[in-house]
Parts: sequence; structure tokens; C-alpha cells
Amino acid sequence: MPADAAPLLALRHIAKSFAGVRALRGVDFDLQAGEVHALLGENGAGKSTLIKVITGAHQPDGGTIAINGQVVEKLSPALAHGLGIACIYQQPALFPDLTVAENIGLRLEPAKPLRRVAWAARQKRAAELLHRIGANISPTSEVRSLSMPEQQLVEIACALGSGARIVIMDEPTASLTQKEQHLLYAVVRDLRKAGVGVVYISHRLEEIFALADRVTVLRDGQSVGTNPVDSINEAQMIQMMVGREVSQIYPPSESAPGEVVLELKNVGCSASIVRDVTLQVRAGEVLGLAGLVGAGRTELGRVLFGLTPGDSGEILLNGEKITVTSPQEAVRHGIAYVPEDRRKHGVILEIPIAQNMTMAIHQRIFPGTWLRLGAEKKLALEYIRDLSIKAYGPEAPGGSLSGGNQQKVSLARWLATKPKLLILDEPTQGVDVGAKSEIHKIIRRLAKDGMAVIMISSDLPEVLGMSDRIGVMRGGTLAAILPGKSDAHTVMAAALGQKGAAA
Amino acid sequence: MKKYFRELSVAGALGVLLIALAIFAPAFYQGQPLLSLLTATAPKLVVACGMALIIIGRQIDISVGSQFAVSGACGALLLGHGQPVAVALPAAMLAGALMGAFNGALIAGLGLPSIVVTLATMVSFREALRWKRQGELINIGAAQWFGLGQGHGQWTIIIVALAVLLAVGCAMRYLAAGRFIYAVGTDAEAARLAGINPRLVTFLNFVLIGALTGLAAMMAAVQSPLVDPNAGVGLELLVIAAVVVGGVSISGGRGNLFGVFVGLLLLSCISPALTYLGVEAYWEKAIQGTIILLAVVADGWRSRKNKN
Amino acid sequence: MSSSHKTGGTKALLRSHEFILFVVVVVEWIFFYFIGTSKNFSGHTVGFGTLDAQFDILRHSCEIGLLALVMTPIILTGGIDLSVGSVLGFAAIVFGKLWRDGHVPIPEAMLGALAVGACAGGLNAFLITWLRLPPLIVTLGTYSLFRGLAEAVTHGADTFTGFPDSFNFLGQERWLGMPAQLPVFVIVAIAVWLLVHRTTFGRSFRAIGYAPEGARYAGLPVERRIALVYVLAGVVAALAGIIYTARLGEAKADSGTGYELFAITAVVLGGTSIFGGSGSVHGTLLGVAAVAILKNGISLAHGPTEVADMLTGVLLILALTASIVPKILSKRPARVQTVPSTPQPSPTS
Repeated sequence: MPADAAPLLALRHIAKSFAGVRALRGVDFDLQAGEVHALLGENGAGKSTLIKVITGAHQPDGGTIAINGQVVEKLSPALAHGLGIACIYQQPALFPDLTVAENIGLRLEPAKPLRRVAWAARQKRAAELLHRIGANISPTSEVRSLSMPEQQLVEIACALGSGARIVIMDEPTASLTQKEQHLLYAVVRDLRKAGVGVVYISHRLEEIFALADRVTVLRDGQSVGTNPVDSINEAQMIQMMVGREVSQIYPPSESAPGEVVLELKNVGCSASIVRDVTLQVRAGEVLGLAGLVGAGRTELGRVLFGLTPGDSGEILLNGEKITVTSPQEAVRHGIAYVPEDRRKHGVILEIPIAQNMTMAIHQRIFPGTWLRLGAEKKLALEYIRDLSIKAYGPEAPGGSLSGGNQQKVSLARWLATKPKLLILDEPTQGVDVGAKSEIHKIIRRLAKDGMAVIMISSDLPEVLGMSDRIGVMRGGTLAAILPGKSDAHTVMAAALGQKGAAA
Repeated sequence: MKKYFRELSVAGALGVLLIALAIFAPAFYQGQPLLSLLTATAPKLVVACGMALIIIGRQIDISVGSQFAVSGACGALLLGHGQPVAVALPAAMLAGALMGAFNGALIAGLGLPSIVVTLATMVSFREALRWKRQGELINIGAAQWFGLGQGHGQWTIIIVALAVLLAVGCAMRYLAAGRFIYAVGTDAEAARLAGINPRLVTFLNFVLIGALTGLAAMMAAVQSPLVDPNAGVGLELLVIAAVVVGGVSISGGRGNLFGVFVGLLLLSCISPALTYLGVEAYWEKAIQGTIILLAVVADGWRSRKNKN
Repeated sequence: MSSSHKTGGTKALLRSHEFILFVVVVVEWIFFYFIGTSKNFSGHTVGFGTLDAQFDILRHSCEIGLLALVMTPIILTGGIDLSVGSVLGFAAIVFGKLWRDGHVPIPEAMLGALAVGACAGGLNAFLITWLRLPPLIVTLGTYSLFRGLAEAVTHGADTFTGFPDSFNFLGQERWLGMPAQLPVFVIVAIAVWLLVHRTTFGRSFRAIGYAPEGARYAGLPVERRIALVYVLAGVVAALAGIIYTARLGEAKADSGTGYELFAITAVVLGGTSIFGGSGSVHGTLLGVAAVAILKNGISLAHGPTEVADMLTGVLLILALTASIVPKILSKRPARVQTVPSTPQPSPTS
């Protein structure tokens, strides 16, 4: 590694906050030419924010960015592109109705309207780039007909074609087959040989060992350490990811788990990645569902709630076999799902919170479909009091509340259905500390009163602090069921698919 | 082959229709009536080229019929007052472009939905013209057929329409600006990130269809000595049907002008075909509506198949 | 508008869209009263200011009003129905045909027309909810189809006339001192108002309009609700067709041509957002009043009908522009509105 040349990229003390939440707190990161630098960290550690700072999509609140030794003020996406920074996202942003050659063309050619489009040259260039990365894709295929990994390869071809010197890859092998992965490794090695610097985000530790020169671990918005890959082992990496001071106190579990409420036997859904999930949840128990992004936790929630119904295996509720083919049916059975995306799916921002709260119980609270505003207001006031929701009244529109209070409204909506099984998807994501604590207390209280709770969370301390048992998902299925008193290391190891407990 | 399946199947349907006519109603192929049919269809082809761009750009314009009437009246008035074609034709196109710009300003500038804006302008433009003209026909006298006499005039009009088809078709394929329309129609946000200006593209699209409608209006106006300010009623439906049948997807981003050409021919032949085959003309609108629905269903089927 | 009673009280009421529109309607009425009323040579008042003229306005309002009423929930869900005018015409023709050629008694012929309206709405509903096609192009196709079927049934020329006086009474005479079709309109207006503002259906419509995916996550039966509004539109459009026929005493293939514009204008004028979610039925009623007074006021002031229609188009544009101004002022960049498709469930949220 050339140690004397200016690094391709040098970030110093990068800080970034969103609405009071500090996503990055003074991160240092640098990238040398001809290096593969891996970026490791659990969900929410700050990786994607850091990437967005590098590509110019976010402006940092503090710190400096230097490219090739030159400090750059106000990095914008266009400027970043011009400076040779390219990013391959997990969700490729291609035009589905256009061909591969055209997609590459639109990306790489300047946006001048009065130019003649030379199709032959476009085809040739696309074919060349695709060949260079060993992708077996015809330039004349429509992007719509390509699989996700193939689309990723097209993105890589674009990055290559744009002469990028800094290439960021965000979990590029997440959905690739074995063969495609090796293809990708070869591409990454080629890039390195050509002097390109690659920032490689991955959860696959074996990949990091195979490809990367250095690895930086992020945790809670800070860099925990940057080390050459051959000077560190797997267990140490995991420890860096999860080892932390326990600062948050979680309410203790007082419940004695009762009857089995939910039992899943080999449940799978061919339309999503969920396959062969077997687990049980008891009344009064909080089952934490951990795993990395893309492991299938939300997808499992959607199967249980009937949004993407399962088509294999059995679901038993209180011992009886049930089918859940729609959200209405789920509600009828007593299954409730508090969605992850609060603003899009959890709460309708334009309507009053009282109406949000009664949205899932129309049949019960408004018999005969006639609205009873009095009953609705009463219910709303009850939940506002019970859940300590801060709003100027039940008529306040959902959008006027803070994130934490919106989450409570979303929760109230589903508690009103008096469910037997409550599925919470990232219940405290983006919620301030005070509200977080309140929500945790509410969850404990619900469990104590006999509800079966599945809590999907990417916040490892939260999973550890709140769960009676922990289910770890990986690749669409359940990788492990661990006792609630497990340590972070074990959980993360299971999520990463690594064998062995804490070092 | 598979990529152009839709366009080829429409061409196939047209072929079947033409063969059926050759067998059951060979009178269809007589010289002068056939030429007149093609001449009457030519202006519609010009408008259809513009409509294809609009729909590929994921918008819609149902005011073209009214724009047709207004710009036609403008041009015809100039011709009737002795102005040469070189003045009247650009004037009509300018009138169309201005009306298109008005639509474009509201749709691209203010972000209003194109269906409602063009619904409003459709009525406003037409009623304003009706009010002004009170149904009075415009006499263009010697300017009929651009002064070329019927035979030459008809061929000129057909050739102009084909030239426009070729020009727009080539622009859609070989001009970067044409490809921008596809990009905006597929994903306006992704287009913006790729450096394209979706608002400008949309605005210019509406201006262009206005100008093309003006041209078409003149091509239609010179086909008779008296120009009816009530012309163009139902034009938008015919043109949208032709475009949708021809494989342009209503959700934008796909389609080409070959399909539009074939689609328009198919639809234009249905009405005279019905006449020659002894079916009454009043079934025309119902058939048109059914064809639109079938095309949209086929569209929906195709995109659902592709998604899975 | 929120149905809660406590949103700022009187002050909010005075600033609400509906109140401003109410003032506009009153001003409009006064304006046309002054320019449209005069005394003829025998000293009698003629023109706008007469009871006859006012009743005529009411009569005209009924048909547009019915269409606008039923267009409101459709637009609340974020959809649109361009075929209502054509369904009006087609149902009128079916009614006439059943009575004259099918020798079906009037009441059964009416039921037949309503059934046809339900089927027409059903076709729209099927294509939009089952096949998930965009309402815009579906109703553009049915707009053409139903008008075409009306023309086909009448062979383009036929007109059904000679209805019994007992039927024409509905459209032309007075009952208890007011136009006979008014009670029908009032009943439908009350029913639609209750549906939108006092039932869970109305809540669903708004939720679907604001957030189609969010509504699904809340367990609302999205497809069923959307299907309902389109079928309802078909039935009520058919009812409007019957009343139209009674008013004119004849059923023609071009009955109701262009009425969809008036309906949409009335709805948007009334404050319902074209993007869905917000709006009110009482606003629509005021919008209908505004449009009807404009149309009739101009004709009673001896102005040309073209001006009335042209101004209606201008009015729609002004109403749309006015509704978007607050969005622009809040400095959000206007994104180009593209043809929306029916909400699809996404495989990944």
C-alpha cells in the first residue's frame, strides 16, 4: 500500500445529525488508491450516513472532506460524480423500461439535449464495460427483465465507465449466487489493481477477510477502530461492533410466560425471502427478533399480518391452524402489526390522531358504520393518557407530532384491536430517549398483562434488554433461538452466520 | 422480435383487416376513395406523433381536438384574407404552440395533473372559438390544397405526414432530447438525478404537440374550400386510442412510432371498413372505446407479467 | 375538513374554503340578479329574478349535482371518473328503449336503467380494482364505450319521446311548490353526505386518498371501497339520466355530453383536492351552485352559452391553481405530476 501518496479520500471528524439524533459523531476515515477498505457495523451504526456524506447527498454538520489531498467544501452529488466518486447501492436506480445500453448511456453521457445518439457506439461501450466485469448480460436487454444481481452488475459497469477512482459498494453480494459473488470479487480485485479505491460495506466477515486490505468498524456513529485485515480476527471484529457501555436501563421482565399463542411450523412465502421458519411465542413473552437488514424480519411480519401471505407451512394461533391472507383477516384473528415505516404506513399524517387510532377497529367501535365521534374521542383520550402521548388534542393531525409520539399513536391503533399477538417492527427507531423509555415500559406492561409480543429490532442493546427470548434471523429463516440473557456477541455472531461465542 | 411483439401483433391485425377487405369488400381499394381516406388520416397521424411523445412522457392531453379547431381557424382566416400559405401555416403552428405552452405551464410549472388541466382547456378553447365564430364557416377559396390542385395536394399532405412521422420517429430514437422523454416518463426523479430537467422536458412536450396540432389543422383545413370551426371533435380520443393500441404504455416510458403508425391505420380503417362491410357507422365510438380498453388491459397484463 | 367540533371555532369557519365559496356564490347570485332581471313591457319581472328562473336553475343543478355528488368520493380516493356523462346518456337511452320498444312500464324501465348504470360502474370498478388499471385511462375508454353504445342503440339518430305526463312530471313540474326532481336530489345529497362524513366508508375513502399503502396496512379493505365508489357513480349517473330525460321529455344519445367537466369543476371548486384525501360534500354542493348559477345566469342575461361553458373551464383552472398555491408558497418544489396508477401492493414495503 503506497503510504506516501495523498489518500484518495480523507474524512476527518465528520459529524452529522438528523432532527436531534446524532448519526455520526466525529468519524475519521481514509481511503488509499489501490485499496479495498471494508466498512463494518451493525444497523444504525452510521454506515449509510457516512456513504451519503461521501457521495455528497448529505452535507456534514462538521468535519472536512479531502479528495486527492484537496479539501472540498460543499460536496454535491454532481460534484462528487465529477470528482470520480461512484456508489453502487443495493437498490439499483436504473430505468426499467430502457435497455442496458441506454441506461449506461444516460448515466455516462453528458445531459445535452441536442446531441445525436450513436446507438452503435452505445452498444459497443456497454458491451465492453460488461465484458470487462465478466457479466453475461446483453446490452440490448431491458433492465426490467434483469434480476437484481444483474442490475447491480450494470451499475458497476456504469461506475467503471465513468472512470470513477473512488467506488463505494453497499452490500454488493447480498443477493448474488456463489458464482456471481466470485465474479464480483474478481471485479473488485481488478479495480484495486487499476488503482481505484473501493469502500466495501458488507456483513460477510469471510468476504472482508478475502477482499479487504483494511477494515473500519463503526458503532453508534463513531469509528471504533481501523485495522489492517490480517491483524485482526473475527471475534475481535464482532466485539468491536457490539462491545459498549450499557447506558440505557431497561424495565425488568416480570412476566411468567403462559400458553403458546403463536406457533409457526416451516412457514415460508415464495413471494418473499421468508422460508422454513419454525418458532413459538407464548403469552406474556417478549420475543425479540434480531438480524441484519435483509434477513427477513419485516418480511416475516408481513407474512404473519397477511400483507404477503405465506404459502407453505402452518400457522397456529392458540393451537388452531389459521390462514392469514389479508390484513383484515389478521386483525380478525387477533394479530396486530405495528409497521416499521411510521410515516408511510404507521400513521396517516394528514388526519387527526383520534381517527388514526380507530382506523383498525371500525367494525367494533362504529357498529353499523355510523361514526360515533364521542366514543372515538373517549378512546383517543384514554390512549393519550395511557401512553403519555404529547399532542394538543385528539384532533391534532398525525403529522404535527414528534416521531416518538407518532409511534405511540401507531401503537395505540393496534392496541385498540385488543390483539393476542402484537408484532412491533422497529418500535423505537428514530425516537428520542425519553419516548423510547416510555415505549419500553409500555411493552413490558403489555407482556405482563398476558400479550404475546414479537419485537423486531435492529437496536442490539434494546433486543438484549427487552427480550425474554431472542430469535435471530438470517437469509429469510430463523438462524438461532437464544435465551434473553445472551450477550451481544453471541447474537451478532448468529446474525452474521459465524460460529463460536465470545472470544 | 420478442421486444416488438406488441407492435407486430397490431401490424398483424391490420394485415388481417386489409386481407378481409380485399376478399369481402374490394371496393375499398379503389383509387380515389382510398387516396381520400389516406389524405384524411394524414393530419391525424401528425397529431398522433405528438400524442405519443406526451404519453411516453407519462402525461395526457385531451385538449388536442380543441387546439386543432382553434389553430385551424386561425390559419384558415389568414388564408381567407389572402395571406400566403407561408404565413398562414406558421401562424397556425404558433397558435398551437401557444396553447400547448399554456397547458405546459400549468402542468410542468405548477405540477397540476394533466388530465384535469387539459379537460379544462379542451372546453375553454373550443367554446371560446365557438363564441367568436358562431359556427360560421371560413372560406379559404383558392388556398384549397395549398393551391396545388387536388391530386398534387393530396399527395403533398400524405408525404408531409410521413415526413413528420419519420422526423419525430428519428428524433425519438437518435436525438438525446427524445431519449430524455423516455427517461422522464419512466422515472422523473431518476431522470432528474441523471441531469435531465423533467419540468422543461414536459413543458416542451406540450408545446410540441400544440405546434404539430397546428400543422395538422392546416393539413386538414385545406382539404375543402370551407373550413368548419367545429372541426376536431373526438380527435383526442381517436389519437389516444391509436397511440395506446400501437403499444405506447399509459404509464410512460415505452413505445415507438412504428406502433403508433400501425395503430392509427388500424383504427382509421375500421370505420370505412365497417361501411364497406355493411355495418353501420354508429358503432364506431363503441368500437373505439372497446379497443382502448382492450389495449389498456393488454398493457396491464404485460407489465404484470414483467414484474414477476 | 375534520368533523371535530373544536378546530378553532368560528374563526376557522370564517376562513374555511367552504365559507369563502359560500360568499362567492352569494355574490355571484346577486351579480346575475342585477344584470339578468328586468321588467318586460307589461311591467312583469322577467329574467333571473323570477321564481321560474330560479327553479330552472335548480332543475339544471339536479343532474350536474348528482354527478358531482358521486364524483366527490371518487376524487377523495385519489381516482377520477370521466365516464359519468356517458353513463348518463347510455342509461337514458336504455330507459327510453325499454319503455318504447320493450313496452316495459315506466317504473321497471327506471330500474332497468339503474341496473345498467350499476353494470357500467361495475365495469369501471372491475378494471380498476381487479386488474389494477389506472382510473384515468379506464374511464376514458368507458367514456367512449358507453357513449358509443348509446349511439349504437339509437342508430345515431333515434330519439325516445312521448313519455307519459306522469313521468315528465318528475322533470318539468312542481311538487309541493318546488321542482319535482328536487326531493330526489336532496335525498341523494343527504345520503352521499352521510356516507362521506358520518360513516366509516368516508373515513376509508380519505385514508385511501392520502395514503393508499397506509390504508392497506391499517387493515382497510382498499379494493372493496374503491369498487364501491365507482359502482355508486354508475347507479347515480343512471338516475341523473332518468331525471334528464324527464326534464327534456326525450332521451337522446348525446344526453349529458360534457357533464363530466361540470361535475369535476364543481368538486374541485368545492375544495376537494384533486390528489385525494381532503374535501367535503357540502363544498361540492356549493361548487354545483356556483357552476349552475354561472351557466344559467349568463343565459338569462342573454349571454351566449359558449361563454358560460368557456368560463366554467376557466373556473376549473382557477380553482386548481388556487388549490396549489399554498403548496408552492410552502416552498416545496413542484414535482411534475405524472399519470398515477392504481395503488399496488409492493412486495417489499
